Amino acid sequence: MNPEAPLRLLLGPQRPVVNFDSALARSGIGDGPIGVISAAWQEAEGDIDGMQRLVKNPLSDLLLYQKAEELFVADTRLHEAYRQRQERLKEQQRLYKLRLRQLMIAARATLRAEGERAVVAAERRHAISQLRALDMHHLRQVDKIHARFDSAFNIGCNAPLAEHTAALAEALSRFDSLLITGGNVVVLMNRLRLFGLGSQLQRKNIIAWSAGAMVLCDRIVLFHDRMPQGRRDAEIMCRGLGLVPGIVLLPDARGRLGSRDSLRVSLFDRRFSPATSVTLDNGSYLLFEGETLQDTEAARRMTRNGKFKRVRAA
Amino acid sequence: MNPALRKLVRKAAPDGADIDALLRDLDFPLVDGTDVTFVFRGKADAVYLRCWIAGLDTAQPFQALAGTDLWATTIELPKGSRIEYKFEVASNGNKELILDPLNDVVARDPFGANSVCQAAGYERPEWTLHDPLAREGSLQNQKFESSVFEEPREIEVYLPATFRENRRYPLLVVHDGVDYLRYADLKIVLDNLIHRLEIPPMIVALIQSPDRLKEYAGDNRHARFLVEDLLPFMNDAFPLTDSPAARCIMGASFGGVAALHAAWRYPEHFGSLLLQSGSFAFSDIGRHRRGPVFDPVVRFMNEFREHPGRPADRIFMSCGMYESLIYENRSLVPHLQSKGVDLRFEEARDAHNWENWRDRLRIGLSWLLPGPAWMVYE
Repeated sequence: MNPEAPLRLLLGPQRPVVNFDSALARSGIGDGPIGVISAAWQEAEGDIDGMQRLVKNPLSDLLLYQKAEELFVADTRLHEAYRQRQERLKEQQRLYKLRLRQLMIAARATLRAEGERAVVAAERRHAISQLRALDMHHLRQVDKIHARFDSAFNIGCNAPLAEHTAALAEALSRFDSLLITGGNVVVLMNRLRLFGLGSQLQRKNIIAWSAGAMVLCDRIVLFHDRMPQGRRDAEIMCRGLGLVPGIVLLPDARGRLGSRDSLRVSLFDRRFSPATSVTLDNGSYLLFEGETLQDTEAARRMTRNGKFKRVRAA
Repeated sequence: MNPALRKLVRKAAPDGADIDALLRDLDFPLVDGTDVTFVFRGKADAVYLRCWIAGLDTAQPFQALAGTDLWATTIELPKGSRIEYKFEVASNGNKELILDPLNDVVARDPFGANSVCQAAGYERPEWTLHDPLAREGSLQNQKFESSVFEEPREIEVYLPATFRENRRYPLLVVHDGVDYLRYADLKIVLDNLIHRLEIPPMIVALIQSPDRLKEYAGDNRHARFLVEDLLPFMNDAFPLTDSPAARCIMGASFGGVAALHAAWRYPEHFGSLLLQSGSFAFSDIGRHRRGPVFDPVVRFMNEFREHPGRPADRIFMSCGMYESLIYENRSLVPHLQSKGVDLRFEEARDAHNWENWRDRLRIGLSWLLPGPAWMVYE
C-alpha cells in the first residue's frame, strides 16, 4: 500500500447484486485483514457474516455504534449535550430547508425562463450563486454547532470519550484497509465525528458503499425525489471527511432521483459545481488511487445540460 | 354503452353462446373512459345498481337488453374513482341485494362484502399488497383492567419486525384497530412502510370498542380510557418514546370523532392525529338530520367548533368525495388551520369505506410520522 495515495473503492448499493467482493478482488487492496465500520446499520451493526463469506480477507467490525451507545451510558452529561446538539442541527436543517425551497423555486424559474439571452443568463447565474451562498451559509452554521459541542466535549477534557477514542485508534491501527457499509448516513457521520476518526482514515485503503461512500466526500448531500410526500429538494447535511474531494456522490440514483427531469438534473449539477455530481447505482464503482480515478464501472455524472454521462477514468 | 355490448344487442338474434363469449372475454364492470357499464344476466322484474354515493341516485335502474337475458346500466365515473356497489334484483315481489356475479373484485367490511368498481386510472397501491421482502412485524393480544369502564379490555399490539427491548418507539393508537387489520390490511401496510423506511418502526395499539357508536361519539369516558388506562398500560408494557410528538391517534368515521375528541380533551398528550372520513356532524342552527346516534357527536362538534383549542400540532385528514361527510370534513379544515395546526387534507374519489381509508394510509402516516428514508442510503 502506498500511504501517500491509498485506494478508495466507492460502490453503489449492494442490493440486489453484490459487487463489493469482485471490485475488492480487482482493486489491488490484497487479502489482508479489513476493519469494518457498519455503524450505519445501527442496531444491526456487526452483522457481517454474510460479507465474510464473500471475501478472503478476515473482516473485523469496529463496533462504532455500540461503543458510542456505551459511551452515552457511561457519561450522561455528554449524552445530553449530544442530544441537544442534534436538536440544534435539526432546527438548523429545518430553517435551511425553508429558505432553500424559495431559492430553488426561483432558480428553476430562471432555468425555464426565455428572453434576451444575456439578460436571462445573468439572472440564472445570480439565482445559482444565491443557492450556493445559502448552502455555504448552512455549512458554516452546522460547523459552528459542531464546534460548540467539540469545545465542551473533547478527549482533552472528557475521560470516557478519551478512553473510547484511544481504544478505537488502537483497533484501527491494526488495519491497512477499512470497509464502510451503507445505511443511515447521519448516524454514520455522527459516530465517525464523535470519535474523531477522520484523520486516521486518511491513510487507509477504504472500500465503501452508499452512505459509507458519501461520508468520504467534501459535502454530504441528501436527496430523494420519490418520498411519499413527493419530491424534496436536495439538502446539504454537513461536511464529509473530505477524503474523496471534488465529487458529490448520489447512491441509488435510479431509485431516488427523477433523472428524466433534465431541468432538475441541470440545476443539481450547477448548484454543486465545481464538484462533479456522480451517481452510484447497484453494480457501479469508482476506484481512486489517492485523488486519481483509476477505474470505474457504470458510474454516471450529471452534466450542465441536464443529462448523464458515463464517468471515465483518466 | 360499451361497444362490444352494443354490437351484441344490435345483432338480429344473439344466442346464448354469443352472450357466454362476451361475458367470458370482457372484464366487468365495463370501463370505457369515464363511462362505466354494469351488466347483470338473469331473469328479473327489475335490477338496480346500489352504490351509496353522495350525489348519485341511491338506486340506479338497469335496462333490459332486448332479445337477451342481460340487463345493463351506464354511469359516469371520473378518472381515479373507486366505488363499492351491489345489485338489487327484484323478482316475484322480492328484492335481493347481491354481489356483482361478473366481478371478482370484492371489498369486505364488518357488514359483509361489496363489489368494487375500479374506474379508469384507479390502481390498488402496490404498498398495500404483501411484499415478500418486507420483514413482518408481529401481533400480540393484551388484556388490562380499565379503571374507567370498570372491566377488562383487550387490545392487539403490533410490534415492528426489528423490535428490540432496548430501543424506544413512537406509539400509534388505532380506533377500530382490528377492523383496520381485517379490512384495510393495516399490518401489511405497516410492514411495507417500515420496510421502505417511509415510517419509523413503531408500536401500534389496536383498540376495539364493544360499543363504538356510544364510546366513540365524543364520550368523555373514552377519552379518559385512552389517557388514564391505555397510555399507562402501554408505557409500562412497551419501550415507548415519552413525548407527545411520538404519540399519534387515528380513526375513521366515528373512530375519527373519538380521536379528535380525546386529543381535544387532553391536548398535551398526543402530538398528531390521523382522521379518516371523520363523522364530524354539526349544526349551525336547528336540529341535525343524521339520527339520534349522532346526537352526542353533534353536541361535541358544536362545542369543538366554538372552542377548538389546539388538539394536536399536526393533523392529517382524509375524506372521500363521494361520501356525505365531505362537507363536514372540508369545513373543519380552515377551522383547525386558523388555530395554527399544521394540517394536511386529502380528498379521494372514493366513499365511506375501508379501502378508501387503506389507500390513504401511506400519505397520512408518512407525513405524521416520517421515516428515515431521507437519511438512509443502503
